[in-house]
Amino acid sequence: MLSIVPSFQLSAQHFAIGPQVVFGDYREVSSDLQYRGSGIGANATLEWKKFSADIVLSKVKYKPTSNGTATTEFDASEVDVRLRYYITGPVSGELGFINRKADPEFEAQSVGAITAGAQMAYLLGPGVRMALHGGLMFGAKYSGGGTTSGLGALQLGLGLAVDALHRRVRVTGDYGFQRFSRKTDDGSGPLPAPIQQSVGRIGIAVAL
Amino acid sequence: MKAQALVTAAILSGTTLAAQTIQNPTLRRAQQAFDNLDYRQALSGGRAALRERLSGFERSRAYELLGFTYSGMDSILKAVDAFKQVVLLEPERTLDPNRTSPKALSAFQVALTQVLVVRQLVVDSVTFVGGQGVVPVRYTVTQPARVVTRVVGGTGAASTSLRIDSTVANGQVNLRWPARLPNGDPVPAGNYTVIVEAAVGQNSFSTSQPIRVSHGTVDTVAHLTGLPGYTELPETEVPPKSWRPMGLALVYTGVALAGTSALSNGDLGSPSLREGGAIGAGIVLAGFIMTLKKPAPQAARGNVLYNQLLREQIARRNAEIAQENTRRRQQVALTVAPVSRSGVGR
Repeated sequence: MLSIVPSFQLSAQHFAIGPQVVFGDYREVSSDLQYRGSGIGANATLEWKKFSADIVLSKVKYKPTSNGTATTEFDASEVDVRLRYYITGPVSGELGFINRKADPEFEAQSVGAITAGAQMAYLLGPGVRMALHGGLMFGAKYSGGGTTSGLGALQLGLGLAVDALHRRVRVTGDYGFQRFSRKTDDGSGPLPAPIQQSVGRIGIAVAL
Repeated sequence: MKAQALVTAAILSGTTLAAQTIQNPTLRRAQQAFDNLDYRQALSGGRAALRERLSGFERSRAYELLGFTYSGMDSILKAVDAFKQVVLLEPERTLDPNRTSPKALSAFQVALTQVLVVRQLVVDSVTFVGGQGVVPVRYTVTQPARVVTRVVGGTGAASTSLRIDSTVANGQVNLRWPARLPNGDPVPAGNYTVIVEAAVGQNSFSTSQPIRVSHGTVDTVAHLTGLPGYTELPETEVPPKSWRPMGLALVYTGVALAGTSALSNGDLGSPSLREGGAIGAGIVLAGFIMTLKKPAPQAARGNVLYNQLLREQIARRNAEIAQENTRRRQQVALTVAPVSRSGVGR
């Protein structure tokens, strides 16, 4: 998931918060464990000088798809915190963490990781900004065990933010993709158990 | 006959110009005889008139009649003597060259060189800021002489006697009087007299011209709101429409979707592009709208700098104007104008 912060806009302090509608696709281990679902979320954005921060909360109810073998739905509650620092031109650096919990606990993997990456933002027009970001996720921990190599956990995002009502209201649309190349070892050697999630978020935020 | 007519016209002209009339009957008869070309009668009449009681004007006209008569009789030396008396009696007397015979005119010019007079003293009317201008003064001295020009006048404590010039001169002299006291201050307002005194040997002559000096305030300069020929430029400009927003939206969306496909794990089946496609479609739509929309004005840096320089220049000029006005409020505008004129020979 991705939230846009206009890191090229070095304005004074701004704060925005609002609800979001979330829809996603979740896959684990093999193409048989495939889920799709929707839910709600919230996004808070703080901008201060060259710094900006995003806090994204979401809860998605994933249901097994008809072409898979999974039978039980689960809720994925995710926290995504990202601190961003404007570097130059359209480029900002990002550092943060994610934490996603599955309920029931063993229906899907809960995961936590440190994120680091970069964002490129561009002003399409007055009050309309888009951003593309990507990065790595380090130190991923899974509720079911397993490890991920240094470059095995990746994330990619795309976002759009449109200011309205004299920048009092902001309409946002974010897309986030995560892939964990998780491997497990039950004594018979490492076995691939990848985790992959695509999430779309459409929301509205009020600037304070 | 033609010379006769010219001389008559000159006499009548002079008479008319003087706005006085000849009352003495002897002189009138003499002039009538001159008009009738009876030179002998004119001469005897003129001499007889000079022995009678005449006004200054009539005496001058009598000598002038004798001068014209002698000129007509080719007695140049006597004509010159007669004209010398005219010049002494009326230093400002001039003959119209268009109405006077060449002989008489020549005799009059010779007479001018043989007497010491200061003629045609003129003080031009002028207005200037005290200390920054001069009053033109000019006169003609008929013989080489020591000429002293002074200004006297004022009242009370402001009573003034200033020497303008002292020189040996002959012919026309042009002077420039700065109208300042010895300490540099402008002369006080009031009535003054410009006196020109010429002396050579035992002969001397003086003439004067009254003038009035008045004080006024010096006009201040209005502050500038702009520089002539320079106008401020718009500090924002609308860039031309561009497909760049649409193009970048496509690029960003393409990178995100292609990245998703490339990074997806093959063991998990074909990647889901539903979420990315939905958001990407929104971005492409936004880019398309922004491409069609009139671009937002952007700061024109060059124009901003130009306007800044222009405003600084105007502010600098206005600061100079303020200083100039402060100085001007402490200055005085002098107006010097001649009043009336009199000439006295001695």
